[in-house]
Amino acid sequence: MNRAAQAALLLFLLLFLFAPFLVNPGLVFLAGFAMIQIVFALSWNLLFSYAGLISFGHAAFFGIGAYISAVALRDGYEIHFVLLILVCAAFGALAALLVALVVLRRASGVQFAVLTLALSQLIVVLIGYSSLLGHDEGIAAIPRPAIDFGLFTVDMNQPLTSYYFVLAVCLLAVGLMWLLAKGHVGRAMRAVRIDAERAAFVGIDVWRVRVIAFTISGAFAAVAGAMLAPWSQIITPDYVNWLQSAQPLFAALLGGAGFFWGPVVGVIGLSGINYLTRTFAGLSEVLVGASLILVVLVAPQGILGALKQLARRRGGRTPGGHA
Amino acid sequence: MILDVQGIEMSYGALKVLHGIDLVVEKSETFAIIGPNGAGKTTLFKVLTGEAMPTAGTIRHNGQDITKLPAHQRARRGFGRTFQVARVFNELDLRTNVVISIESRLRYSGGNPGPWWRWKPSRDVQAEADEILDRFGFPRRRWNDEAGYLSHGDRKRLEFCVALATKPEVLMLDEPTAGMSPSDRKEMTHLLARLKAETGITILMTEHDMDIIFELADRLMVLNFGEVIAMGAPGAVRDNPTVRKVYLGQDHQHA
Amino acid sequence: MTTLYLYAIFNGLVLGAAIFLVAAGLTLAFGIMKIFNFAHGAFFMIGAYVAYAVAGQEASSLPLFLAAAFIAALVVGAIGVVTDLAIFRRLGNVPHEYTLMAAFGIMLFCTGAARIAFGQSVHAIYPPQAIGGFSEIGLPVSHYGLFIIAAGIVTFLALEIGLNRIWFGKLIFAVARDPWMADVVGLRVQRLKLASVAISFALAGLAGGILVANQSLSLDLGHSYLLLAFCAVIVGGLGSIRGAFIASVIFGLAESLNSVMLPTMPGIGSYALLIILVLIRPQGIYPELSQ
Repeated sequence: MNRAAQAALLLFLLLFLFAPFLVNPGLVFLAGFAMIQIVFALSWNLLFSYAGLISFGHAAFFGIGAYISAVALRDGYEIHFVLLILVCAAFGALAALLVALVVLRRASGVQFAVLTLALSQLIVVLIGYSSLLGHDEGIAAIPRPAIDFGLFTVDMNQPLTSYYFVLAVCLLAVGLMWLLAKGHVGRAMRAVRIDAERAAFVGIDVWRVRVIAFTISGAFAAVAGAMLAPWSQIITPDYVNWLQSAQPLFAALLGGAGFFWGPVVGVIGLSGINYLTRTFAGLSEVLVGASLILVVLVAPQGILGALKQLARRRGGRTPGGHA
Repeated sequence: MILDVQGIEMSYGALKVLHGIDLVVEKSETFAIIGPNGAGKTTLFKVLTGEAMPTAGTIRHNGQDITKLPAHQRARRGFGRTFQVARVFNELDLRTNVVISIESRLRYSGGNPGPWWRWKPSRDVQAEADEILDRFGFPRRRWNDEAGYLSHGDRKRLEFCVALATKPEVLMLDEPTAGMSPSDRKEMTHLLARLKAETGITILMTEHDMDIIFELADRLMVLNFGEVIAMGAPGAVRDNPTVRKVYLGQDHQHA
Repeated sequence: MTTLYLYAIFNGLVLGAAIFLVAAGLTLAFGIMKIFNFAHGAFFMIGAYVAYAVAGQEASSLPLFLAAAFIAALVVGAIGVVTDLAIFRRLGNVPHEYTLMAAFGIMLFCTGAARIAFGQSVHAIYPPQAIGGFSEIGLPVSHYGLFIIAAGIVTFLALEIGLNRIWFGKLIFAVARDPWMADVVGLRVQRLKLASVAISFALAGLAGGILVANQSLSLDLGHSYLLLAFCAVIVGGLGSIRGAFIASVIFGLAESLNSVMLPTMPGIGSYALLIILVLIRPQGIYPELSQ
């Protein structure tokens, strides 16, 4: 990663840190929403860039987290919210593990994409049946918890506290994913994505690595969902359908799928487009669609990839200089 | 014997490409499979590495049947390999390429690649990777280069590092000098000879270049139309009249 | 009770034919371009809007209704040619995950463009009087349903004969199988490809024009059939017309019988079926071109 990208990421971090003091409450809400989408997009990219699997149904795991968290908060379960996040993560991981065990055995490529899509739509259908989950209308007016940490209490009913709690959880999740991606598990996953056969011949169990990646990715997607329930205070099946599944895909592609931080840049870009075109129905879709096509045709490495190439060209010698 | 291969047959539909191949590889020897194009070398090699499942026959490693073992389990039993067109992890730097291999070995051999949250390889792994890269002649300043930008010969050498980092008992080389410049070729031959002398590793290889075969191989096997037509020490095989006819004859023609 | 089931089977056949009308273009496009066109549903929707623009809420006669559907096919076919020239053709060297994403981008672009062009409102569309009625033969049979079944069968036969029997179909097949070889023997690969891409998109437009009646025309129109068509294409075997036809009928029946046998759980049958079928036979019923 070059200096321009590092500077940009640092700037984004600062903007997120001081957002409540810089912009109006509407934008602060969007910033919190964007952070949750960042966690979701990174969890998807862990799968795509690190294990080479393209899931078109990732919103299913996001939805599992969102609905568990929403029901628990609505019905006032006696459960510490931090524990609740972990429960959501566990259920997300379990669901992802089951899907991986079934789907990864038989399907690949387009079949894998459509099967994951169909499984997530199945969840949407199931939600429609359930009155516990509010059928097609979803769950609204979700109360925000006051979280007791012994020494202090984080009351999410205070706007500022609430924002910083979401920020803290998201930063923690991003940090954990970063450590995982950069550590030896992440290296094995990348090896599998770049050349599965070569990886197998150094003793890496490709299937197992993929199942593990899928499970971990499902857990983080569920954590993102769990945070959304108290933040947006409304959860509908729209958060589970294929358009939500496509969000991380757009973000990763736009920002640069080959980079860990690519989806972060992508989510911020997408949020920007959506915000600026909010008064003109349809324009945001046109712009996002066009930029996706453009990225695939012109800069498949996304914004970060284009920046890297730019730096390389300006620097003259490539890092792999003698090529 | 380290590898005991009996009665390997292989057919693609009605086409039979291997007709009952037997071969035995002893510890620390270099065994070469040669033959004209289309003789079945590549198919036999694929069967031995586990990429292709033979129609009949068994492969035993130290007495145990490994015919049906998938690639990663063969690797874990001590088989390392290189590909005809070198395959390395392109987007990663040289060091990471080797580190991946070492960490994989540690994972399955009961070693410890460190906790998952360590974003840098452990000091031992790092040192081992550096030592391997150094041994194979990559200068330190290039260790952080992306593998995708290497020249063909360098990629082959890096692939060697990746394969050897799992500390294999048997190294399987598919045309280790294919597509190389004469100087790279010489260097690779040198490297293989040194590796043989220093580690006593068992090598199973296919190769086109006869000079390299005669320099390195302890024994070799000549395939033609999916059958073994000669097997033995290089000198004896070279003097075998059948082999001269089907194989070296051609070689002399365009020499 | 039997009447109920007979009625469900009839509805299932209608739905199956409708799914096939959408799936046909999708599977043809995969066979030729090797691209799983996520944008197919968007083109379907554009076709429906074009037909609406031509014929209005209720076409005054059957010929006008058909003419509107054909105009929709022409328009969408033309858009398809532009899309192919501008985008799909340039995706040759891009990994296939990225082509999926590009198709997704096209879908989003089309949906947004349609939202700008046609607005958010929902229109109710009726079939023309000539096929708007019912016949009572023990159970009520809608003429429009019969019309859709007929349209499905005609499309299937046309494609099946076109692809297997006549020269044009054989050429398309040759190009799909091995473009390089086709080029060597002197076929005009690019032109043929373009023609077949135009056909596959035109099919989406035609389907939109035919199926729009009895639906509420909105921007979400594409989705209802699209997912089932995806399922049918996968289960039928990517690129296979025959497979898509059989699978479409299976999914149509599953969906319809589901509503009779499990009235409390609508919509679950086809997904369950998809998962089972893909696990049993991941390569599809006719794995023709999917390798």
